[in-house]
Amino acid sequence: MDVERGWLAELMGFLRPDQVLTGAAARRGYDCDAYTVDRFPPVAIVLPESTAEVAEVVRWCNLRNVPFTARGAGTGLSGGSLPALGGIVISTKKLTQILEIDLPNRQMLAQTGIANKKLSDAVKAAGLHFAPDPSSQTVATLGGNIAENAGGPHTLKYGVTASHVVALTLVTPEGDVVQLGDRVPGGPGLDLAGLVIGSEGTLGIATEAWVTLTPLPNHVITALVAFGTVREATESVAEIIASGTIPAALEIMDRGILGALKAAFNLEYPVGTEALLLVECDGDSAELVKAEMATVDAICRSQNCLNLETAEDEVARQKLWTARKKGVGAMGRLAPSIVTHDGVIPRSKLPEMLDTVYEVASRHQIGVANIFHAGDGNLHPCFYFDDRDPDQVRRVVEAGEEIMRRCIELGGSITGEHGIGVEKLDLMGLMFSPADLEFQAQAKRIFNDGALCNPCKILPNQKSCVEHKSRWRGMAW
Amino acid sequence: MKELSALTSQCIRCGFCLEACPTFTETASELESPRGRIYLVRSALDGKLNWQDDVKPHLDRCLGCRACETACPSGVEYGNILELARDAIEGQRPNRPRQALLKVATDPGLMRLQAKLSTFLPGHRIPNFVSRFVSGVDAEVDKPQIPSDWHVAPLLAKQVPPVRGEVYLLEGCAMRVLFPRVHLATRRLLRRVGYQVREVKAGCCGAMHAHNGGLDEARERARDLIQAMPDDLPVIVNSAGCGSTMKEYGELLGPEGVSFAKRVRDVSEFFLAEGLAKKLMDSPGLTNRTTYHDACHLAHGQKIWEAPRKLLAAVPGLDLVPLAEADTCCGSAGIYNVTQPKLARQLLDRKMRHIEDTEAEIVVLGNPGCHAWIAQGCYESARKPVVLHLAEMLEASFIGLDALSD
Repeated sequence: MDVERGWLAELMGFLRPDQVLTGAAARRGYDCDAYTVDRFPPVAIVLPESTAEVAEVVRWCNLRNVPFTARGAGTGLSGGSLPALGGIVISTKKLTQILEIDLPNRQMLAQTGIANKKLSDAVKAAGLHFAPDPSSQTVATLGGNIAENAGGPHTLKYGVTASHVVALTLVTPEGDVVQLGDRVPGGPGLDLAGLVIGSEGTLGIATEAWVTLTPLPNHVITALVAFGTVREATESVAEIIASGTIPAALEIMDRGILGALKAAFNLEYPVGTEALLLVECDGDSAELVKAEMATVDAICRSQNCLNLETAEDEVARQKLWTARKKGVGAMGRLAPSIVTHDGVIPRSKLPEMLDTVYEVASRHQIGVANIFHAGDGNLHPCFYFDDRDPDQVRRVVEAGEEIMRRCIELGGSITGEHGIGVEKLDLMGLMFSPADLEFQAQAKRIFNDGALCNPCKILPNQKSCVEHKSRWRGMAW
Repeated sequence: MKELSALTSQCIRCGFCLEACPTFTETASELESPRGRIYLVRSALDGKLNWQDDVKPHLDRCLGCRACETACPSGVEYGNILELARDAIEGQRPNRPRQALLKVATDPGLMRLQAKLSTFLPGHRIPNFVSRFVSGVDAEVDKPQIPSDWHVAPLLAKQVPPVRGEVYLLEGCAMRVLFPRVHLATRRLLRRVGYQVREVKAGCCGAMHAHNGGLDEARERARDLIQAMPDDLPVIVNSAGCGSTMKEYGELLGPEGVSFAKRVRDVSEFFLAEGLAKKLMDSPGLTNRTTYHDACHLAHGQKIWEAPRKLLAAVPGLDLVPLAEADTCCGSAGIYNVTQPKLARQLLDRKMRHIEDTEAEIVVLGNPGCHAWIAQGCYESARKPVVLHLAEMLEASFIGLDALSD
C-alpha cells in the first residue's frame, strides 16, 4: 500500500524502526483485545517511549487525518482498544516506569503502561498498595484502568479507579500535553480528570498519573462458602450488606465456573454445590474483623450453606481465591472463546437476574457461567462458544443484548467496569435519552472535535462509524 | 501429539501471559507475546497469514521458556504449540544453518572437536562468521570450553550407606562434554543416598530437536534412549531442558513414551524424596552467600520450584538469598543465544542486574544452557560470582568448595 509506505516513512522520521510495527502479522496481532467478537486491523502500531513522543504521533495523526486508538495490555473486555476505523494503534507498553514514590503522602507517579500489580509490588514493603484490583491486574495497565475506570473484587470497600487517581498527564486528541487534577484533593477548577477517567480513551491518552496508595489491612480473613442453590448464595449477600457489614470482597461463582475449575485445576467442592460465595473481611483490628466474619458465618449458615472454609494466612487465603482469580481463564477448557458480560443490577434483584441469564443462554443454546461481584450487584455472565462459527457469534451477541436490556429494566446499568467500547454501543440509547447522549457528545467535542481519537466508542451514531460498523462487527473469523 | 488447531483454540486471549513473557516485556510488542504468537499460528492455520513471512520471525524470537504456561489460567499448552508450529515451518522450508548448529550442539564428538578447534581462534566469542551464518548478526556467546578433569578422592565405603537400588543417569550430549563434573557430583550424591548408576550407552534425549522444529529427529532419539534404559528404574536427569522433554515423551511418542516418562526424575526432586536433605544437615556445610536461579524447564516445564531450595536450605551455614525474577529466562534458551544474540544479551543483562543486587558469591542452577550463559555474564561482571550446578553445590557441602576446583 502506497499510503502505508508514505505514512511509515513519516512516522519513522521521529520514531526508531523498532517503535513502528507494520505488515500482515502486526495488523492481525492488534486487530482486537480480549473482546474477540469484533475485530478490525490497524495500518500500523507505534510504541512511543515518552509523553512527547505520544504527543508527536497524535499531532501527526491530526496532520494526516488518521484515526488513532490507545492500547495498553489489550485485556479490555468491550473492545475499547479496537482500532474501529483502522489507522494507528498507540501502545503504551514502552511507558512502564514508576517515576516517583512519595511515601509520607502515600502517592505515586507512574507512567500509564505499567501493569496495575507492579504499582502495589513497588510499595508492598512499606505496607501500601494500589487498591483497584481487576482480575487482570497482573497485566492490565494503569492507563487501561483509567480509561475504563476499572474496578475489581475489592472495590466494594475501597472504590474504583476514579477514587485512587488524583492527577493525570494527558495528551489531548489534538496532541497538546495538559495536566489535569491536582495532588491535593479538592483543588480549584473543573474536575476534568474526573471526566477523563472512564472515558475509554476517547478524550485523549493519559501518559502519566499520580495515584493514591492505600494501607494494606493488618488483618484479613477470607471465607469460601458452598451453597446448594445460587439463590441461597445471593440471599446471603443481600443479608450481609443489610446487616451493615461491608466486607472487602463479596464474590459469587456458579456451577459453570466450578465445572471449568474442575477441568482446569482439578479443584473439588462439596457434592451438590451450585454456587460458591467468597467473602473477605479486612481491617486493622483483629476483633472487628473476627466479629464481621462471625456475622457472615451466621448468615450463611442460616441460608443452609453446605460448607464454610476460612483462612487467615496468606498462602491459605490465596488458595481460596484461586476459584475467583482463575475462574474466567479456566473457561478456556470449555470452548475456544468467551465473552464476559458486565451488567449491574440492584443487589436485591440478583436471584431474579440470574434466572434470566440461565433462561436466555439456554434459549440461544450457548454455554454460560457466572462469576460476579455480588456485593455491588455487578454481574459477569461468561458465554463460552466457538468464535469460528458465525452463527454462534451472532447468538452470543443477541443473548448479551437481551441480558443487558433486562439489567436496565431491573433498574441497573449495562456496564459496571468493562466499559461500553464497541460491544455495547447500541445499548446506550436504552440508558440515555437522545438529549442526554447529545450533551455527552458535546462534552466530548470540547476535547475531540476531529473525531480521530478512539473513534466509534461509547457514543452511538458517530460520523463514519455507522456504515463502517459492518466491517468489524462479528468479524471474529 | 495433540492437534495444533485444537491446542491453539484453548487460548481465550485474556492476556494474563503477557507480563510473564520475557520477550514481551523486552520488546513491548504483542507479536512477541504468547497470546500474539498463538493468534498468529491460529491465523496461519486458517490461511490468513503466511507461515514463513508472517509467523516464523515471531516464533524464532520465542525463547520457549514456557513462563506463559505458569501464568495461563486456561491451561494452554504453549510448549506443544511452539514445537508443532516450528515443526510445520521447518517441514515447509528447512533452516540449514540451524540444523547445522543443532548437529554440533547435540553430538558430543563434534562438540568436543569444535571446542578444541576454536581454541585456535582469537577472542572469547564464537566467530562472527558463524554467528552471522546463523543469526545474521555478530556473536554474543562465548566459545564452548571443555573443563579440565576433576580429581577428587573417591568415596569410601564407610562414608556411604549400603546400596539399596539402581538408577539410570542421563549423561546426554552437551552436558557430558561441557559439564562432566556435574555428572560426577550427581553420582557421588546418588551414592550418598544409597543408589548406584546402572551404566548404559545412551546419548542425546532429543530435547533440542523438539524445541527447534525437528520433531521426527526428536522421536528417533527418544526411542533410542528408551531402548537404552529398558528396565523399570528411575531415570535421573540433571539437565532441566532434557528432563522436561523426557517427562513429555508421552506427548511426543504416544503410549510407548508414557511409561518411560513416569520414571524420569530431576535430580532435585529425587534427592529430596530420597532423604538427601537429612544427610546434608549432617555435612560440614558452607557459609557463602548464595542465590538460586530457576531454569525455565525446571520451573515452568517441570513445575519444580521448591525441591532445589529445600535442599539448599539444608546445607548448614549457607547464606541463601532470594533472587528477583528468579524464574525469568536468562536468554540462553538452548541455542537461542546463538540464533537471537541481541535479545539473549538483553535478558542476560537483566538477569545479571538481579544477581548483582543479591551480592551473592555463588549462583546455583540446574541446567547446562543457563549454566554456561550466566557463567559468561558472571565472568564479565565486576563481582564475578561463581556458577554451580545444584549437584556440585550440594556435593561441596560434604567435601568443601576447594575440592571442586582440584
